Amino acid sequence: MIADIFTVAWKELREMLVQGDPRGRSRLSLLLLVVIFGVVIPLQNGRDWTDSPISVIIWGWMPFLWVSGIVADSFAGERERHTLESLLATRLSDRAILMGKFLAALLYGCVLTWIILLVSLITVNVTSSGGGLLLFPLPLAAGAVIFSILISGLAASIGVLVSLRAGSVRQAQQLMSIGMLVLFLPFMFLQFIPVELRRSMVNFLSNTDPIQIAILAAVGLIILDGILTVIGMSLFQRSKLILD
Amino acid sequence: MDAIRTENLTRSFDGRKAVDRLTLEVPRGIVFGFLGPNGSGKTTTIRLLLGLLDADEGRAEVLGFDTRAKADEVRKRSGALLEFNGLYERLSAADNLDYYGRIWHMSKAERDSRIKQLLTPLELYDRRTEPIGRWSRGMKQKLAVARTLMHQPELVFLDEPTAGLDPVASAALREDLERLAMQEGVSIFLTTHNLAEAEKLCAQVGVISRGQLLAVGSPEELRSRTSAPRLYITGRFAPQTLEQMKSNPLIQKIEQHNSRLVLDLNDMQRSHEIVTQLVQSGAQIDEVRKEKADLEDVFLNLVDEDKRGEA
Ligand SMILES: Nc1ncnc2c1ncn2[C@@H]1O[C@H](COP(=O)(O)OP(=O)(O)O)[C@@H](O)[C@H]1O
Ligand SMILES: [Mg+2]
Repeated sequence: MIADIFTVAWKELREMLVQGDPRGRSRLSLLLLVVIFGVVIPLQNGRDWTDSPISVIIWGWMPFLWVSGIVADSFAGERERHTLESLLATRLSDRAILMGKFLAALLYGCVLTWIILLVSLITVNVTSSGGGLLLFPLPLAAGAVIFSILISGLAASIGVLVSLRAGSVRQAQQLMSIGMLVLFLPFMFLQFIPVELRRSMVNFLSNTDPIQIAILAAVGLIILDGILTVIGMSLFQRSKLILD
Repeated sequence: MDAIRTENLTRSFDGRKAVDRLTLEVPRGIVFGFLGPNGSGKTTTIRLLLGLLDADEGRAEVLGFDTRAKADEVRKRSGALLEFNGLYERLSAADNLDYYGRIWHMSKAERDSRIKQLLTPLELYDRRTEPIGRWSRGMKQKLAVARTLMHQPELVFLDEPTAGLDPVASAALREDLERLAMQEGVSIFLTTHNLAEAEKLCAQVGVISRGQLLAVGSPEELRSRTSAPRLYITGRFAPQTLEQMKSNPLIQKIEQHNSRLVLDLNDMQRSHEIVTQLVQSGAQIDEVRKEKADLEDVFLNLVDEDKRGEA
């Protein structure tokens, strides 16, 4: 079972990284991402990089964006290119196919994030000499690892679901963008929240240990990822997929 | 144990029966041809046999496993080339085969040697690292056939493998299929609407039309069973001739199409008796021809009769 999941993920990643991928994520555009977020932006921040809130955005928000960009293709793409039915005719279980697609998207998001963070450290250490080795503070480093996984997982599970139901890759991509908006809509409406409520929220946040908030957020994400995965499994049925 | 055994297998779409009370037994180790015109239910049958669709009624066993309860066991032991070849066009030929080898838990060494073994005679081994997107249809179809055999399955389903290929590519693929069927000793369930293909490749043929099985047998059997050699007589016949002939016990069936009589006889050796009778009744005979019906005749007849039966 685990081997099957890795087999499916292997093929997904292999296809993603092939040159001239019509998903627009060819090796070149990946390289561009690494250069912008791993070299250019850290250079602008110099020695402050390891404490900069921008590095938090890289692991707390960017994985969602990156994974959204590729995951729409997972099922919708196979259906559009007529490879899905052959895959369903193999010995792979429904679960292995679903989890393999999920794992590939998740790995794509976090490995890309880690590479960028690593490159950014190399960049600032090489360019801002003196004062010893520059590293992320431990809580931030732990947060980066955990949240890049959870955020990628969130995007992957939403994306696999959307891709499963969508009629085409295009539709899946559109749904993903709408989904992303909906997900971050609450932040836009923050200003409409009554002042007292907002004040008490800010109070709560500033009085609580950031580590506790992070743990709370992580648990919330784990539960959300779990629920979405269960929904995905219940929706994934061979005979239904073939009739669509 | 049979490779495939179905009993009253039935599946409808929107109230129309795509497969209608199909009862079939396919022995192991042969190439079985499932022959039928477009829309007759061939693809639906394969999907039912692989457990990709559920039957409304009836049941099927493939390699001894019930397709409803044990579809995963069926798929584990089978290979399938479906309507669409299902190849990944951005991956290389070797990667496409490698993926399926991994799916069937073959080791790296096994996969590599199997890829070489399959692709070399197909003349694709030297091109195995090319992405297959720009390959010709014929090359892709060969690769897709190789992929179904990758894990040495007991049974292979091929859904119209030569459809959409030009005549040269079809003929080449048929040669390859014939060789592979012999060499691999695998049971093959092949659908086709091409009679030449069925004749060349299949030890047994089932004829399907509008979801119903019309006949099963070896191509030779089908030819002799459904129509013995026929007598074609062209000329001018008196109006009462046809009636007179019908009482002759030698004649199984007689039809008149304008100036031509088509007769099925119980004993072809005695065809001269018919000619004598005709001449005596005042017929003017231009031509007498004896012909064994080919599979095409049989097929068209079966499908035709089936359609007329419905009307
Ligand atoms: N998914 C489907 N939805 C609706 N009708 C279908 C579907 N699949 C097949 N059919 C119908 O069932 C009949 C048999 O189709 P099919 O099995 O594909 O025939 P063949 O493979 O012999 O050409 C056709 O009339 C076809 O339109
Ligand atoms: Mg078909």
